[in-house]
Amino acid sequence: MKSPAAFAPLVVPLLALVLALAKPAPAAAQEPEFFDRPYTQNQWTYGRRLDESQLRYCVDRRDPDWEVAGAIADAIARGLLLEPQRHVVEGSIVLEDITAVYEILLKHCDMHMGFKLIPQGYPTWVTVTRPYYETRYVYVTADPEIASLSDLEPSRPIGATIGSQAHLRLVSYLSALPRDERWPTYPMGTADLALGSLLEGTVDAALVWAPTLWAKQREDAAYAELRVIEPRPLPPTTLGVGALMLSDETFLRTAVDEAIAALTADGTLQAILDEYGFPATAAP
Amino acid sequence: MERQTRLLCATALAFGACTTLAVAQEADSAIDQVTPVTDEMLRNPPDGDWLMWRRTYDGWGYSPLDQINKENVGDLQLAWAWSMTPGRTQETPLAHDGIVYIQNSDHVIQALDGATGDLIWEYFYELPDDVDPRGMRNKAIYEDKLIVATRDAHLIALDTKTGQLIWDKQVANYEHGWGYTSGPIVANGVIVQGMTSCSNAQPGGCFFTGHDPDTGEELWRFHTIARGDTPEGNSWNGVPLESRFGASAWIPGTYDVEQNLVFAGVGQPYPWNLEIAGLIPPSSDPDVTNDALYTNATLALDPTNGELQWYFQHLPTDSLDLDYVYERILVDLPVDGETRQQSVTVGKTGIVESIDRTNGEWLWHVETAPQDVVLSIDPETGEKEINPDVIPVIGESVFHCPADPGAKAWQAAAYSPRTETLYLPTVEFCSNTTVNPLDPGQIYTGGGLQTYSRVPVPDSDGNIGQVRAINLADHSETWQYRQRPPITSSTLPTAGGVVFVGSLDRKFMAFDDETGEKLWESGKLSNSLESFPISYEADGKQYVAITANFASGLGRLASLTPEVKLPANDPITLYVFALPD
Repeated sequence: MKSPAAFAPLVVPLLALVLALAKPAPAAAQEPEFFDRPYTQNQWTYGRRLDESQLRYCVDRRDPDWEVAGAIADAIARGLLLEPQRHVVEGSIVLEDITAVYEILLKHCDMHMGFKLIPQGYPTWVTVTRPYYETRYVYVTADPEIASLSDLEPSRPIGATIGSQAHLRLVSYLSALPRDERWPTYPMGTADLALGSLLEGTVDAALVWAPTLWAKQREDAAYAELRVIEPRPLPPTTLGVGALMLSDETFLRTAVDEAIAALTADGTLQAILDEYGFPATAAP
Repeated sequence: MERQTRLLCATALAFGACTTLAVAQEADSAIDQVTPVTDEMLRNPPDGDWLMWRRTYDGWGYSPLDQINKENVGDLQLAWAWSMTPGRTQETPLAHDGIVYIQNSDHVIQALDGATGDLIWEYFYELPDDVDPRGMRNKAIYEDKLIVATRDAHLIALDTKTGQLIWDKQVANYEHGWGYTSGPIVANGVIVQGMTSCSNAQPGGCFFTGHDPDTGEELWRFHTIARGDTPEGNSWNGVPLESRFGASAWIPGTYDVEQNLVFAGVGQPYPWNLEIAGLIPPSSDPDVTNDALYTNATLALDPTNGELQWYFQHLPTDSLDLDYVYERILVDLPVDGETRQQSVTVGKTGIVESIDRTNGEWLWHVETAPQDVVLSIDPETGEKEINPDVIPVIGESVFHCPADPGAKAWQAAAYSPRTETLYLPTVEFCSNTTVNPLDPGQIYTGGGLQTYSRVPVPDSDGNIGQVRAINLADHSETWQYRQRPPITSSTLPTAGGVVFVGSLDRKFMAFDDETGEKLWESGKLSNSLESFPISYEADGKQYVAITANFASGLGRLASLTPEVKLPANDPITLYVFALPD
């Protein structure tokens, strides 16, 4: 693995720009929410941070990849010659609206790790960095006879993580099939619920985010027997994952993008993924 | 002489979750004159009181006070104002025996002297750090208790005189998405409360609950997503209960004393896109439908035990976030020469719809603002023919009117028995709608479902906002007021022949209830007026109160009127107007 210092010459000029042009958090005198910016109680009290030698990042302990994401963020910070300042979000709410990230970004971090690169999937107040890894939605089953989705009888139901890119792709595919060739597809509120339904036998296959399955199998033996099957006849649904930033953090975002590119090129990110046995590849 | 003392509420120790700093006011103050609110008072409120969300069980939102009338409303002046915690709310103040009760966005609940605006007591309800602090639409008063719902799915009761906590009940776990945005009504001695924010994290949908006013104990629960092997339970296209979402009960109901029935609406299925929700393509099972009951229905519930007496579904298989959840207004008026006991509601389509409240039978409808979702309505059954071209599908954008906030949004319509007229705030706009994935984050979702790009209606005259006066006896439009900024408050008709309403551009206005002539307009207030105005009496004088605040909903239409500038820090102010002494 190359030392981050190896690409320091690349990012130092950008870093200088970041430090010189760092903007205060979008607090007072910004457009209110009805121009598509969320509202946070007392938002105008969050001003310019004083310590510009740090890269403040957030990871959320509820995210299955939070430890991996933290290691990647540390590498990005080192690449920018900044001190990594980690904030671990300790929420207890199962699902939150993305607008909740606004307050977290104002209060705690310059970038929040763990967001998928979905075209037109974000409001204008945020932007996503280039991906630091790519991973998939996967079909999972406990049936040893099934090697791919095409082996699943049409009468056997699929529990799909609701509204995911892969769920939309599955639904579009099914709508083109004759009625008697469609799998019953049940939307499941979360990947955890989809996997739970699989264990309970409510469904015969689950469509989930690969990192969720990875985390479940690390922590609970009940999930050990679940297997990933090929998505055939559907193509795989692969998504890049990056960090969320406020959209006016343009200079820092450019610097982070450059750092991710360099860390990908020198193998640093893939080494981190491999170290955790994480089911992803560093984005090309 | 008034003397105020700050007291640490002893109940803080008993209910550790709440920070209970109360402010009490002693001796010969207005609060000492406050009387318990009886069932009889709820059935026939004193003219000067506003004891529940829409003032009376029939949901009229009408004030019988007439001190302020057509002749003198032009002299209306600011009597007092009270700054509330900045944030978001959709407040309905309550008024009883000259005391005004309000709930701030951060859940500080306050009692104010209705004549002077002086603070009498305040109670601090402490929300969990991870719950977004926003206000509620309404509260309830019963006996000696002010009953308040919270964003973290609690019901609490405070002493109306002291603000001290009497009980605190957690009804559901906010960590699974549940929470309240509206408060309860009290019907036949039972608190009836609707649950909302039923997210994907907790499948199975929302519910109404009944509670004992003395203890908060839950007496019954009615699930708003139908269950079991019944025609209603089999109306979800064959998807199991754990895959059914939505059916929020986010607006309080009304109550028919004679029948002992609460009439309440239910919101739409989640997510809005039918393909994602599993509601299309339709199942081939002949015993299965995809109506998704009881979404977008009127429910007739017995408040004593929560049993459903009948239901009427206004919009099955909704794919456009077009709730039929709003207020049910109870009127007894002739239909085809025969007096019918009616329940009138207006969904987001802006269509005024009436059903017989004794049995749910369809009666009549009137279209108002432009819409292209409903192509026709069967005059006998009320069954709607939905325009197939406006149903969003994955991979395509569709154009439809209205957009998601609705031609008629949560801002309640009101009915005046003086004129037998419904005063309806509406907006005219459309949307280009695209289906998006729900999963940008792993915990953090949103950013999608369907993206609504809101645009004016084709050939618009530029006037987004309207107040429409619809005569409920002959179903004619008596008058219509139009202006460019959206109308953003509920309407308030009074016995003085005046209809009050507020708008996005910070104006509070009064109209002649018969002609629609504008009789008075406030100066520009501190924020848009997205709330519920009331009128009450204190020391023999009539007051009109409204909070100026920005809220979700019609405020989103501000993108259509960018010339309307609002303050960025979301101030909330309670304004109270009266005639000069």
